[in-house]
Amino acid sequence: MDLGHELVKEQLFFRKEMMERVSWMIRLRWMAVAAGFSGCLIGYAANWPLPFVPLNLIFVFITLYNVLFFFIEHRLPSIKPQAVQAFTIFAHAQIVLDLFALYAILYFTGGIHSPFLVFFLFHIILAGILFSPLSCFIYSILVLLAAAGLILIQKYAILPPQPILFESHLFPRNLALRDIFVSNIVLAAVVLITAFLITSIKLSLRAKGRELLRVSKELDSGNAKLKALYQMAKEMGLCQELQAMMDSATRNAATIMGVKACSIKLLDEQRRRLRFSSTYGLSEDYVGRGSINLEKSPINRSIIEGSYYAIGRIDQKDYFQYPEDIRQEGIASMLCLPLRVGKMVLGVFCVYSDVTHDFKDEDVEFFLLMTDLTALAIENLRTELNKTWFLEKAAHQLRSPLNAIDTMLKTLRQGYLGPTQTEQAKLIARCEQRIENLCQVIADLLDLGVKRTDLGKITMHPVNLGDVVRTLVHLYQSQAAAKNLNFSCDIEECLPDIMAKEKLIDELLNNLISNAIKYTPSGGRVRIRVARESCDRILCEIADTGIGIPPEDISRLFTEFFRSKNAKELTEEGTGLGLVIVKEILDRLRGTIAVNSKLDEGTCFTCFFPVIDGP
Amino acid sequence: MSTPADILIIDDDRDLVDSIEIILQTENYQVRSAFDGKDGYDKITKKIPDLILLDVMMATDTEGFDLAYKLKENPKYRDIPIVMITSFTQKMAEEGPDRFQHILGEAWPVSSFLEKPVDPEVLLSTLEKVLSETPAKA
Repeated sequence: MDLGHELVKEQLFFRKEMMERVSWMIRLRWMAVAAGFSGCLIGYAANWPLPFVPLNLIFVFITLYNVLFFFIEHRLPSIKPQAVQAFTIFAHAQIVLDLFALYAILYFTGGIHSPFLVFFLFHIILAGILFSPLSCFIYSILVLLAAAGLILIQKYAILPPQPILFESHLFPRNLALRDIFVSNIVLAAVVLITAFLITSIKLSLRAKGRELLRVSKELDSGNAKLKALYQMAKEMGLCQELQAMMDSATRNAATIMGVKACSIKLLDEQRRRLRFSSTYGLSEDYVGRGSINLEKSPINRSIIEGSYYAIGRIDQKDYFQYPEDIRQEGIASMLCLPLRVGKMVLGVFCVYSDVTHDFKDEDVEFFLLMTDLTALAIENLRTELNKTWFLEKAAHQLRSPLNAIDTMLKTLRQGYLGPTQTEQAKLIARCEQRIENLCQVIADLLDLGVKRTDLGKITMHPVNLGDVVRTLVHLYQSQAAAKNLNFSCDIEECLPDIMAKEKLIDELLNNLISNAIKYTPSGGRVRIRVARESCDRILCEIADTGIGIPPEDISRLFTEFFRSKNAKELTEEGTGLGLVIVKEILDRLRGTIAVNSKLDEGTCFTCFFPVIDGP
Repeated sequence: MSTPADILIIDDDRDLVDSIEIILQTENYQVRSAFDGKDGYDKITKKIPDLILLDVMMATDTEGFDLAYKLKENPKYRDIPIVMITSFTQKMAEEGPDRFQHILGEAWPVSSFLEKPVDPEVLLSTLEKVLSETPAKA
């Protein structure tokens, strides 16, 4: 079906030329008619012995049919945009009528001796341009037969003889048989050679045109692919999270390649298994089947071991680890390429098709471009993530012994090794508390470290601050009630979104709200308010009636490990890092914070967030 | 009373393993322990435990997960419930490097998840819950 469509498109491309020629012929005919009438007029003035009445009638006839053609030509495209056949018939009708008219003119202007005899050639040329070579040669033979007819008419006086106006060198007046024979041969040669030349030139031009069309189509599709690849690269470049980036790559690759599905599988540390890291168009069942053992999957193994690419068709059963699952998923063939950076293979990039078409060389080449691009992007993001990973691992190493000590202390205090005295249990509980605090310091340090390492490397999206606060407040309700606090929340309706990440807002407000609850004595009040501050800022206020901050400490609030003296006196709990994290998050969200506090009366923290630009 | 459940602890922190052993023995569980994935697998092949308490990070960052997946692939060991203990909070696992992300994205091989430090009461209630949800061995 595709092929048929292409053929029609190609025909239309060439028929466009015919349509143009057809209207050109109509325009040309007006000029011929004008020249004809003028010729008659001049002849009449010069007293040439011409049959003016029939000649003028012929020109009137030409005018009439040209008017008809003119109207038909204007109606033709509206009949059917692909009326190729109609145009061909229309062109034939014009040539045939023109030849008849010419034949009549020749008869009245000297028959075979008419100086207009060579005008036959124009029609041969036109037929050669417009029609198939066969049609052109048929017209040539018809023209020659018509010339022979003229000779017969004259020689045997079938029709009344007309005056011979001019002396033609081609056909002598005596009409001797030998001369006629030679003249006829010459005329035939001229006509046929013209037909041959014109059709050969046209065929070669058309072949070149076809080649040009093919090249331009190829360029078009290549251009479209490159554009899509550029879009893909751009989209991937904007992703700062590995998962989002890989998801973008699989989605784009499937769309650009025009296939059913796509996947990225990355190698595990032992380089023995491939795990689905991102998929597009594959069912959960298929992906959830688990990882792929390279020993059992020759197609993936060949890729990891250095094959340039691999194409699998589902009928090659022993090529896959789970052939039945692949069949059920509706996959008929797949193309897999290594995700490679330099000599290191990170994993496998696959596209899955639901038809058994073998992927063509150009598909492979293009997919290779996408694969290399994706591999580079993965490696770049991984390098970033590795820095974070180091911090997390360091924190893990620090926390492990503390966790073991904590579990041992709990085992001891809760009497699993025999009863402990109350005082002993109290002391052990204090040890546990200190350890817990130390673990919190490590967690906060890690959090801060991670934030400072990959500063700016975070994907933000529109977030409704009111919604986040509503959820959080709900979580703190019971904690506040347990402390007998008046805990209230006031959120303005219809607030615009801010650019953020919900987790960051969560963390920021968690720190501020838990502080407010922690440092407000029983019976006090904690109030949260979210409102529009100006046309481009939203504020979130967390106000308490707690212990307050000594004025001299306010400037040091956001420095690492700083805790006010009165806060320390109230509780051991606290790392001195919470507000540093708050500041770090606000910096990242391009927000600001203001503190208003009176010792023993309370504190109010106000965070300002820029709203998203535009309506 | 039925035979006590056989619990296998796999963790490279001997102090932690000792504490958990004490807690579980007090509650009359049968306890065995292993200090790395390979040793743990050997002990499983010798006798299938009723439940495995498994650490995530041992010699490698994902040794615990690797063992869990290895067990899930073997029909003989597929149904052993696994309780994972780790000092990695869920949040870190979500936000951590891709080796964790893509593991979490897959079919979860673990019945339950315990965060270190292990609170004895939470540990015991988790074990009880997981064991009660596991169909008895044929």
